[in-house]
Amino acid sequence: MTSNDSKKAPSRPRFRPGYLALALGAVVVVLLPLIFTSRYTTNLLILGAAWGIATLGLVVVLGYTGQISLAQAAFYGIGAYAVALGTTRWGVNWWLALILGLAAAFLAGAVLGSTTRQLGGHYLAMVTICFQIIYTLINTNWIAVTGGPDGISNIKRPPFLVPLNTAQRYAWFALAALLLVAGLVWWLRDTALGRAMRAIRENELAAEALGVDTRRVKVIAFTMSAVIAALGGAIYASGYLYISPDSFNFDHAVAFLAMVLVGGSDSALGAILGATLLTFLPEWLRDLQRIYLVIYGCAIILVIVFMPEGLWGYAKLLGRRFARPLVLAPARGTLRVGGRGKAGEEILRVEHLVKHFGGVKAVEGVDFAVRRGEIHALIGPNGSGKTTIINLLSGLYVPTAGRIHFLGGDVVGLRPSRIAHNGMARSFQNLRLFRELTVWENVLVGAQREKSREAETRDRAMAAIEFVGLPDKANEICRNLPYGHQKLVELARALAGEPDLLLLDEPGAGLNQTEKQELIQLLKRLNAMGLTIVLVEHDMSLVSQVATLATVLNFGEKIAEGTADAVLRYPAVVEAYLGNREVALGV
Amino acid sequence: MFEIHDVHVAYGAVTALRGISLEVHEREIVCLLGANGAGKSTTLRTVSGLLHPLRGEILLQGHPIHRLSAEAIAKRGISHVPEGRRIFPGLTVRENLILGASNRPLRWPELEEDMAQMFHIFPDLERLKHALGWTLSGGQQQMLAIARGLMARPHVLLMDEPSLGLAPILVQEVFRVIKEINATRSTTVLLVEQNASMALSISHRGYVMETGRIVLEGPAQDLLRNPQVRDAYLGGAKVK
Repeated sequence: MTSNDSKKAPSRPRFRPGYLALALGAVVVVLLPLIFTSRYTTNLLILGAAWGIATLGLVVVLGYTGQISLAQAAFYGIGAYAVALGTTRWGVNWWLALILGLAAAFLAGAVLGSTTRQLGGHYLAMVTICFQIIYTLINTNWIAVTGGPDGISNIKRPPFLVPLNTAQRYAWFALAALLLVAGLVWWLRDTALGRAMRAIRENELAAEALGVDTRRVKVIAFTMSAVIAALGGAIYASGYLYISPDSFNFDHAVAFLAMVLVGGSDSALGAILGATLLTFLPEWLRDLQRIYLVIYGCAIILVIVFMPEGLWGYAKLLGRRFARPLVLAPARGTLRVGGRGKAGEEILRVEHLVKHFGGVKAVEGVDFAVRRGEIHALIGPNGSGKTTIINLLSGLYVPTAGRIHFLGGDVVGLRPSRIAHNGMARSFQNLRLFRELTVWENVLVGAQREKSREAETRDRAMAAIEFVGLPDKANEICRNLPYGHQKLVELARALAGEPDLLLLDEPGAGLNQTEKQELIQLLKRLNAMGLTIVLVEHDMSLVSQVATLATVLNFGEKIAEGTADAVLRYPAVVEAYLGNREVALGV
Repeated sequence: MFEIHDVHVAYGAVTALRGISLEVHEREIVCLLGANGAGKSTTLRTVSGLLHPLRGEILLQGHPIHRLSAEAIAKRGISHVPEGRRIFPGLTVRENLILGASNRPLRWPELEEDMAQMFHIFPDLERLKHALGWTLSGGQQQMLAIARGLMARPHVLLMDEPSLGLAPILVQEVFRVIKEINATRSTTVLLVEQNASMALSISHRGYVMETGRIVLEGPAQDLLRNPQVRDAYLGGAKVK
């Protein structure tokens, strides 16, 4: 981002402590090799830098994206072996060898990321462990290429301004690389991509429904993490001048995981703290001889138990009173929802929609159409298929049969993120916020659109926050907000992408009658701005006040359609759904 | 039955309850009203032992329970039906119900009898008794959560928004069931509910909370007629 941009977007904070941290980091990079001059400590600095870089890769994939990887040592090894083989056997330039290594890690990371993009949790852990073990087996046994267990010696160092032929000079080089990568990882956090990653960590389904292509972002995260690790490996290989497979085995993958967890996985600084601690701690404890591993292990357990957010997370907690809230400027435009089409044109047509779950027939041949400018209510008893229809429309489920035309195109089979980009937004019955992100970050994720510039995204997000009346809560972490405000955040997040059609799944649930009146006013305002709404709701007083048309479902089939007032008088509807009509309508 | 004296509760640095006192008599239905974030759910969570007060005490039939674990409190006959269902998604409806009775020794004939009663109250659940929790619709999950709470044969039932996400006919049904178990099983009920008119119509007494304090209390009929309550929680509805 250029300085010009930051002037145009006043919502950018004027001061970010991260820049100060970078400047301080630069000073530390210069000073450290001057303070620790012995051969032994200089080597430790180089090792710490290399491990720190590998750990920063884990910040991207685990800390930001929430995907566990136990194969980090494999990518680290790929970078190390590329430099080792390149500068010894193949006799190529160090930088060319590095690029080959990064390219190999890129490919391996992309392959691992693409094959595991549907997996999560322990399955993902298992697959990455297998990848790591396969790597170690090849590394050890393909002696013709890798040199096998004997390893490779006489690795060259890169020419970089001056010959890096002393350990001290090389330590400067390694630490500078660490600082550079840390800066990039820190910067990534608040970019559109970084926010998409953190949204996936917090709630993958909601991220996808808001327009984040979760598969693609996960593959990118794996690939970035792999390339960063390979850089760390290359720096390690040229630092120690000799490598063997022992430095890249599963134990090291676990060590990297420990470093990122101990330091604080959500932050570049945390990764450096963790890597530093776990590089130096074993050296300090070495005098304790045989029990040193016990103490080392206990220290890690203590940190993880008592500082679940890691050392850096704990430091942030202590320093929170010094934290300054982001200064956010008011939006420069108002929210533009509803698209530009003609009022009254058909924007959604559902034809013979069917969805079966195993033997359960959730939706059984439903047809309806929604015209631009309508508020169309879907009502019916619990289990009649209303939420299933919302999930089918937004692409979370693929229909068993039937067609869904949205703005003229067939959207069946499209990814939810694609449908969101086409102009359909939704809320969820049970809130699906990105709980650990701020209100501002939540809405920003909803505002992100392909090809839209960061300044426009920020403007749209702010306009949506202002629309629901929460600008003074923008810096709050969503988890700390009361339920009613969380519902408004979810609405703002859906509106920030400026959709044509908004699907709301029980927006009134959990609100008291006065709050419901406010919701009704909000929906009417949105409708007046041109937004088309499909509404699932059980509060009949709310439905009869806002809906222009209602479709009634029972057992997955449509049993009535018409104006809200008319359908609520049908005997079949009263019997299956309303019970006592006066009580249900609150009249 | 039980009373709360000057209870203070905080979530970390955020204070949620600032000294509330209330009492619930045997066989009463008492409802807690208030806006979102007023501390209603926190009150229920404190009574059932999921949260512990910083100050103050909670007495169940004269005995302090505020230092007991949630499990110990459940064994003394307080059953909590939490907001947002919280059923066990990977277990069947039947298994969910059986777990509801974990506060007492396992006796199969008794369990089967209790389950039959639940299926009588909620006929949908019988049809679904072998279905996994997550396959149920929102409303069915809510019914299961209430039935699971009742399986504990509680003396005191704490209900957090039982009508959330239910179709109108089921809302009426749920309130009818609450009234019925109160009358026939002499279960004492403390109810948190956004549907204030519905809640007050079956309650004996009510308390109104604002930002962690109790600001109003009285017989349900009086609260229904109170102009402040109508403005704040009944959408300004007129008295019938």
